[in-house]
Amino acid sequence: MDFPSTQFVPSRAMGTYEPIHQIGMWGENFKSISNPNISASVIVDVANKLENESETTSHEMLVPSSKHDQEASKPFDKIQRRLAQNREAARKSRLRKKAYVQQLENSRLKLIQLEQELERSRQQGLYVGGGLEAGHLGISGAVNSGIAAFEMGYERWMEEQNKQICELRSALNAQISEIELRILVESGMSHYFELFRMKSSVAKADVFYVMSGKWKTSAERFFAWIGGFRPSELLKVLVPQIDPLTDQQILDVCNLKQSCQQAEDALSQGMEKLRETVSATLASGQMGQGTYVPQVAMAMEKLEALVCFVNQADHLRQETLQQMSYILTTRQAARGLLALGEYIHRLQALSNLWANHPREPA
Amino acid sequence: MQEAIPYKSHMAATAGGRSRLHNSPERADNGGGRRLVTNDSETSVRKLVVENAVIVFGRRGCCMSHVVNRLLLGLGVNPAVCEVDEEKEEAVLNELSIISGGGIQFPVVFVGGKLFGGLDRVMSTHITGELVPILKEAGALWL
Repeated sequence: MDFPSTQFVPSRAMGTYEPIHQIGMWGENFKSISNPNISASVIVDVANKLENESETTSHEMLVPSSKHDQEASKPFDKIQRRLAQNREAARKSRLRKKAYVQQLENSRLKLIQLEQELERSRQQGLYVGGGLEAGHLGISGAVNSGIAAFEMGYERWMEEQNKQICELRSALNAQISEIELRILVESGMSHYFELFRMKSSVAKADVFYVMSGKWKTSAERFFAWIGGFRPSELLKVLVPQIDPLTDQQILDVCNLKQSCQQAEDALSQGMEKLRETVSATLASGQMGQGTYVPQVAMAMEKLEALVCFVNQADHLRQETLQQMSYILTTRQAARGLLALGEYIHRLQALSNLWANHPREPA
Repeated sequence: MQEAIPYKSHMAATAGGRSRLHNSPERADNGGGRRLVTNDSETSVRKLVVENAVIVFGRRGCCMSHVVNRLLLGLGVNPAVCEVDEEKEEAVLNELSIISGGGIQFPVVFVGGKLFGGLDRVMSTHITGELVPILKEAGALWL
């Protein structure tokens, strides 16, 4: 950000223009920001100085009006000029401080990004010198980098997904060979399996992140069940898109839907039990004395089961997808995958529309 | 291969609902099924495996065991459930590993006196439709 070293401002009382000479303090500090090794104490000192300056300036501004009547015109000019200069200096200072803080925030974000990249590279086995790892950022750093890695991975996944959907669409409209279509279907399935692997990984870092579905749009989250789609609901949505089915297929799909529902019920009941267990553990003993470390520690142990639930739910999704691919012909499976892709797009569009639709003022 | 269903488990199954063995005094929500308590000695665990068409071994209060039990119950099976206390966990795991010849993790299901698997296997076979025939063959399900 550029800061001019001199500025011309109108003096309010006399209508004359005066050059204001700025002390280049903020300017000097700007130069040091591009170097990420900022000493935190320097920043604090500078910030303090600024606070003091603007305080004294505003204090001075309260004083002058009593002098106004008593002085002759010449000293009066001087005083007015000085007051104007002070006001201006204060204003400039405030603006510069704002810009400086903004630069600081940007640098901080950049620093976090760099550290995450570092963590990722290290995880991939490139040695980058372990100075910045666990010791510096602590456990939250590992969690954040796990989440950051997942979010980046998901963005790539979505891009690849959109590509595959387009390929499926044109393949189904053209008349490509069974084998080529089979390859597309297999890629589509593998692509979903890849997502489940990614989710499993980030669940170890932060299972609540997966449970919240933060990486998804709002409408997708609305339908979420243990970190993703409910398989039986998806079947209900997709099967009509795959018509016509043979009688045997209809029977098989019906059985699959029922099996999904039974499995989902069992998992849901397990989740309910987990909630009861964690709640009971957390609430055990007397409440009100302000001491609760053992209860919280025990509850945390119980909560670890949540990772299992997320994995089991994804396992169920994977098995359902797999089973559908056995029941359906290649062409039907391709239509199913295409429909699933489009359903997700529609959900995302719904989220977008919702975010932007005009609302009544509060 | 198919041996006659042992009298005891047959009686308990047809009796329906919960039946309790005399050495299991406490009530616990294990997701249903009969409740058994294992003793320390190895033969007791082996006996449980052999005498029950379906038996689920799990840690006491474990939510994943609960899932297995609910799923089996939902299918119309009345599984025997063995809730293992923390102190006996290692011993029981060891014994089960010896019986089945492999590494075991809780929760674990034995069907027809043989190792069936954990929650993963129960889920997979349920989705593919293989689970019900296996249960029927072991005499855990009628119809």
